[in-house]
Amino acid sequence: MLWLNPVALFALAAVAAPILIHILIQRRAERLPFPTLRFLQPTRLASIRRHLLEDLLLLAIRMAVLAVAVTALAGPLFVTAARRRDWDQRIVRAVVTDDRSPDRAAPLFEGRAERSAPHMEATFAAASLPDGIRRGILWLERAPPARREIVVSSPLPIGSLTSADIAGIPAGIGVRFERTGTLPGTRTVDAGRLLTPGAVRARQVTLSGDATSVRDTAVSDPMAWPVDVVSSKEDRPSIDAALAAVLSQRVWAGPPDRRVTLAVVNGAGPSAEMAQALTHALSSAVLIQQPWMADAAARIARDPDVRAAAARVRAGSPDARFVAAPWQTLASAVDGRPLIVVAGSPNRLVVVSAAPATDLMTPLLLRSIANAMATVTDLQRAEVVPISDAQVQQWSRPSASIASPRIENMDQDDRRWLWLAVLCLLGVEMWIRRGRPADEGDARSEEIPRVA
Amino acid sequence: MNTVAPACPPEVLAGIADLELVARIIAEGLMSGLHRSPFHGYSAEFSQYRHYRPGDDLKYVDWKLVARTDRLYTKQFRETTNMASAIVLDTSASMDFPNADPPVTKFRYAVIAAAALAHLISGQGDAIGLLAGDRFLPPRAGRQHLRGLLAGLSSLHATGSWSVADNVRRASERLKRRGLLLVFSDFYDDEERTLAELRRASRMGHEVVLFQILSREEIELPYRRDLEFTDLESGKSLAINAGLARREYKDAVAAFLERWHGRAGAEGFQYSLIVTDTPPERALRHFLLARRR
Repeated sequence: MLWLNPVALFALAAVAAPILIHILIQRRAERLPFPTLRFLQPTRLASIRRHLLEDLLLLAIRMAVLAVAVTALAGPLFVTAARRRDWDQRIVRAVVTDDRSPDRAAPLFEGRAERSAPHMEATFAAASLPDGIRRGILWLERAPPARREIVVSSPLPIGSLTSADIAGIPAGIGVRFERTGTLPGTRTVDAGRLLTPGAVRARQVTLSGDATSVRDTAVSDPMAWPVDVVSSKEDRPSIDAALAAVLSQRVWAGPPDRRVTLAVVNGAGPSAEMAQALTHALSSAVLIQQPWMADAAARIARDPDVRAAAARVRAGSPDARFVAAPWQTLASAVDGRPLIVVAGSPNRLVVVSAAPATDLMTPLLLRSIANAMATVTDLQRAEVVPISDAQVQQWSRPSASIASPRIENMDQDDRRWLWLAVLCLLGVEMWIRRGRPADEGDARSEEIPRVA
Repeated sequence: MNTVAPACPPEVLAGIADLELVARIIAEGLMSGLHRSPFHGYSAEFSQYRHYRPGDDLKYVDWKLVARTDRLYTKQFRETTNMASAIVLDTSASMDFPNADPPVTKFRYAVIAAAALAHLISGQGDAIGLLAGDRFLPPRAGRQHLRGLLAGLSSLHATGSWSVADNVRRASERLKRRGLLLVFSDFYDDEERTLAELRRASRMGHEVVLFQILSREEIELPYRRDLEFTDLESGKSLAINAGLARREYKDAVAAFLERWHGRAGAEGFQYSLIVTDTPPERALRHFLLARRR
């Protein structure tokens, strides 16, 4: 017998409740002024009589009602051979595909014909195979008792799955791989545009077997630096130097309609021009609502160079406005105050830095912002080398028999019989209770002759 | 055939503050069915003659004078009182029960019944007195005295302890001639001593009438749960299960009432057990009819 919800068995302690109620509950005798006590004989109080558990049959039935109800809640499941055979014969399958793979439209090949007719099947097309596998596991956990398996249907380029992803699959779930589509021998992809001093360059990456070659070509695109910096006049040389340093290192170019305003507020002293620009930037700040702005803010916050530089800046901004919405803190200074905050605006992202313009934070932040604006091609998806068959074979495993099904997954169980027993016991309890005289004094009510 | 008007419920009577009004309501209701005075001792002495007027009772016509003078004369009498009555009213705290809403306590019921009887007796021209609490009004006749007596009754409260035996003795000694002693009590005091004093009063020539006033709750103990009963006079308490104690209680109360009824009969006292849920008018009518027999 399996307990579908064995934790509920702890509630068997509730069987003691009727006994405790009999023993512990003592009603306080109500005070009643009365003309004389001469005719009253001392008796036991009803609350004291309860200590004697005078109605053992009723008590036993009440305890049985609780015990059977708790047992029903615990979900007993009689695992007969026929029931187990039925479970083992059916299979619940989660098929995981990579919907962003350039090769997924290719015809299926080996392994597809081996699939047996499942009891239930669902397909999970995810941006990445690990993500699809996680969703498949969640679905399988809720499936009724059966053999469970995950089928990964993909060309399986290297990097699309790791051993850690496979280790995360629960032991009872089988894993199979179906290679779909073919990976080309060589693939050249446009990796994006690079901003360099004085020119824009297009980068092409060619993947050929194990070899990867990169070629940058100067293009005639206009130089579109996406960041407008607001700073004091005294900080301008530092800002310009930082910009030159960033461009010399090359940064990715983003779409021309994505613009950022960076305000450096911890300068030598705010000029009238800066104050006006700053006021305009702050007054137009709203909560970030456009996806590209949210993506850029998240990238800046995750930039390890920016975080390392922030950990060296002693003081953040004392301006209380940056603590509340719509501003979001991307990095804090050593004193815990916000150092880099960000907000949205109707047409551009607004970033405020409280770091000194001369600090290393300035060029690192400029580089991080520029790269965060760009849409960089994921070269992982252009991979042309497949995961080896030996590795796939090692990751594959058959599905195991269901051992302990959970109550929420059961399509049938034996609880109904216990609830039926509870109803019968309640009926008996009510029948006994109604059959008892309510008070032994009532049975002997006598007619007092009325006088006068 | 006597036509008896519907009796006024005790709750309604208890709610009327004017005791004189209550007494009059009851007394008039009582007299509507009784054509003869239930209280003996009424007499009248001759005062004068006057010319007969149509409607005069022929039994008061002096026929001898008619024979001598050939004229019709009617005899007139002057009323005299020859009966002195005293109401002895128990004002002990045990009479302050049940304290329900509306408060028809035994004490209030006894006050109403005593006031009605006082009204009745005074209306016949007899003297009526009162002994209750620390108050004593000697028996006198007249409307003015009745008003004073009713005012005295109204101002009484049931509190503390009060010995029926002592006050019966006191009343019987204050009655100068043979009189009527009306005792209103639950008679929870020392039975032997009370009975001895009543017997003594009887031997002094007084007629003794006992009104034992109890509530339905005292007789039936209609409770089922655990209760801590507190004695209204002594303050002692006893926690019991009323349902379990009811049988023995009712047997004991029945024996107590039977004892009083039997002893009163044996001593020649007129005894009435009155339960407070009975309309006072009905209870008193029963008493008066029994007295007339």
